[in-house]
Amino acid sequence: MNARSEILSAIRARQVTSAPAPPDYHAPTPADLVQAFADHAQLANAEVRFIDSEADTPGTIADLLRARNFPAVVHVPPSCMSLPWHIAPGLTVEATSPGPDDAAMAIAPFGIAETGTLAYPSGTDSPASWHFCAGFEIAVLRAAAILPHMENVIACFKAGGLPSTINFVTGPSRTGDIEQTLELGAHGPKALAILIVKD
Amino acid sequence: MSDRPRVGLLVTCLVDFVRPQIGFAAVRLLEQSGCDVEVPLQTCCGQPAWNSGADKHATDLARQVIETFEPFDYVVAPSGSCAGMIKRHYIEALVNDPAYLPRARALAAKTFELVSFLVQVRGVRALNVQCATRACYHDSCSSLRELGVRKEPRKLLSEVEGLMLAELVEPEVCCGFGGLFSVKYPEISERMADQKIVDAQATGADVIVGADLGCLLHLKGRMQRKGINMGVRHVAEVLAGMVGEPALGEP
Amino acid sequence: MTADPRSFPETSRAALRDPGLRIALGRLRTHFALGRAQAVERYPDWEALRESSRAIRDYALAHLDTLLLRFEQNVYASGGHVHWARDAKEAREIVLAILRKADARTVIKGKSMVSEEVGLNDFLAANGIETVETDLGEYIVQLRREPPSHIIAPAFHLNKEDVARTFRDAHNTLDPERPLSERSDLVAEARRVLRARFESADAGITGANFLTASEGAAVLVTNEGNGDLTRLLPKTHIVLTGLEKIVASMEHAAVLLRLLTRSATGQDISSYVTVMKGPRAGADSDGGKNFHVVLVDNGRTPLLGTEAEEVLRCIRCAACLNHCPVYAAVGGHAYGATYTGPIGAALNPGLMGVQVARHHANASTFCGRCAEVCPVKIPLPKIMRYWRAREYASGVAPRGMTASLGVWAFVAKRPTFYAVATLIAARLLKLLSRNGQVHQLPIMRNWFAVRDFPAPQGRTFQQLWAKRG
Repeated sequence: MNARSEILSAIRARQVTSAPAPPDYHAPTPADLVQAFADHAQLANAEVRFIDSEADTPGTIADLLRARNFPAVVHVPPSCMSLPWHIAPGLTVEATSPGPDDAAMAIAPFGIAETGTLAYPSGTDSPASWHFCAGFEIAVLRAAAILPHMENVIACFKAGGLPSTINFVTGPSRTGDIEQTLELGAHGPKALAILIVKD
Repeated sequence: MSDRPRVGLLVTCLVDFVRPQIGFAAVRLLEQSGCDVEVPLQTCCGQPAWNSGADKHATDLARQVIETFEPFDYVVAPSGSCAGMIKRHYIEALVNDPAYLPRARALAAKTFELVSFLVQVRGVRALNVQCATRACYHDSCSSLRELGVRKEPRKLLSEVEGLMLAELVEPEVCCGFGGLFSVKYPEISERMADQKIVDAQATGADVIVGADLGCLLHLKGRMQRKGINMGVRHVAEVLAGMVGEPALGEP
Repeated sequence: MTADPRSFPETSRAALRDPGLRIALGRLRTHFALGRAQAVERYPDWEALRESSRAIRDYALAHLDTLLLRFEQNVYASGGHVHWARDAKEAREIVLAILRKADARTVIKGKSMVSEEVGLNDFLAANGIETVETDLGEYIVQLRREPPSHIIAPAFHLNKEDVARTFRDAHNTLDPERPLSERSDLVAEARRVLRARFESADAGITGANFLTASEGAAVLVTNEGNGDLTRLLPKTHIVLTGLEKIVASMEHAAVLLRLLTRSATGQDISSYVTVMKGPRAGADSDGGKNFHVVLVDNGRTPLLGTEAEEVLRCIRCAACLNHCPVYAAVGGHAYGATYTGPIGAALNPGLMGVQVARHHANASTFCGRCAEVCPVKIPLPKIMRYWRAREYASGVAPRGMTASLGVWAFVAKRPTFYAVATLIAARLLKLLSRNGQVHQLPIMRNWFAVRDFPAPQGRTFQQLWAKRG
């Protein structure tokens, strides 16, 4: 008998407890999804800004970089190259993957109101590793794409077939491993800004 | 049931052996609340055996207690851990005994820790006693987590004239007695006692009051070893106005 | 690397005398426990969530075979592989074989308690494969050649000066004059050093918080982002996990995720939750080509159908550790095992044997705080007691204790004899007392090692009651 059959036989021989399928759990749904998202994201140390349209992205990014004394360079995945970058002429757009001190942008297809979480599927036009390689990530999220719970986002992904990796991102990277005190920027970005597009 | 229920007092092996005064205080409180109290010949609820995994001894003692106490309307113990043993664990211990399991359930249903019995079953609201002192209350883990007793002792202690009750910073942390744990891992037990004592001292209380004599013996014994002069009393003594006698471990 | 659980009496005494450890352990209350309490307070119906989570875990355990098979099928359908390991030795060998086949020389690790449990790192090193931990706490203890001391905070027992010293020793190509006095300096240095390791590693090994059967996915929870980099950068990704982590679906995992971080640190969700299904898909720009899941038994299936079965519900949040007064006194290293605190006490006698882990199950007052905070309602004290009963019944309990209990029980079952014995003993003890105390006795030495005994009143209650009657 190989390990697999031995383990399965052991399980079948011993399984005595029967348990019914649990009823679906419904987490309490926030009344105002967008506000709940913004509040939770801020609690998790993300900066949240509201913009009127996607076209405002380049200008807002330029602002954010200035405010944090970052050089005016942003790494942009293929999916975002078609934004009106010429509106922010001082801003350099890089197509290469970001280094640990660079700023990068991403479009989050979904957000989760319950926890202020961004949901990124893996794919060609949005390299998953970018969310972790950069020092400062700037995410663009449409207000209408903010769903109440993780379950809703999973359902949306499943409709098109689950990607091989989903990254649920809430705030910047952090660690409490030294003296249980919070420090940002362990392995992922030290800072995260979310631009919510009102539409 | 007559209007004077028959209560079998489970005095507890520690009270019986070390401090009968607590038993008499319990009797006084029960009689004042309108009960007739009897004390059948008894030994121990069996918890030391149960917690040590000596299941045969534990079930033998459980049956003995069931036989002794089932004739009564209620069984009351001045101890959260003994009441908890009967209310929660006899059913576990006797789960494979079809003759005694229903009797264990029946006994569990009518067994109570003293203070919760007085407040919840007898509806005691007022006392006529005084004790001018500053005290802090030590909740035993069994009272808190097995029986959900938290408000009742504070409620009755607030009726004691002159008593100022201060709360520990961490009332829900174990004092480190844990029955045989206190002798199996004495240094850990010692550390836990010391933390509880520091908490108690910080309240400015002169007396620690609690409902489980095991915890109280452990805390007082540790304070005696360290030369710390805080009084320790069982809540029954305070509520029964029997504070004229020396406190626990006092000459 | 790990000490022996049998040395717990010595290791716990040494831990009690360690002042630095004492300071670190104080943070259990002020950080973890407080965080959890606040999160529970904020959540609208914590008990309903807890009950759902318990039901989800019980369902999974009751259908372990079907769910594991469904999981396996779905992993293969996504292009991954599933391996089954009966014990630690098999687990290590399977991982080695995968790495050899992938020609992997350097391995980075996201957090995996199971890899500690099976002794993976040392085994791989002995076989010429270098592993680098990427979770900051795990990295620090790896450099120090110590085991982790807490399930989710491996370097919990250290202060920042300890970490600075460790980094100066280990990162000896960096400028010795560089400042490392702030935590942020230490984190920044680890980030730089480990980034290079991420980028050059041939393979990545992570654990999994959950495996989901319907999707064939593994879910990983981190705050740092190291789990994600471990998955996304190297060519081969291995998930090493206990087989009991399986749940029916992502929907079930989503419910458990709500409980997990709130119970662990008080966060509503961890910074990163990664759902990993198979190797990189055609459209992906990164991710490894090879995806392997190694399901480890190592003593788990024998717990099914026993009174200890509920311990398999565990989602490894460490809330029990954070609220345990014994853990708070001695810390994790004293246990000499991968799993410590109350979950260790409930699990280790099963995984390691009742005799080996006897102290874990015995060093508890059964205060019950662990069971109160356990998000999936594991009756931890009940399971510890079960192990004590197994120890007693198999005759391996210490003879002195068994003999004393035997004598006491003999007397306690004979009420008249008991009455006489106790009234003699009460009188005797009163006579031996001075100033209301007994300082020493030839028996119960361990009581008197640290305490006096308040003198009995000298007569038993039943003796006095009989007179009053």
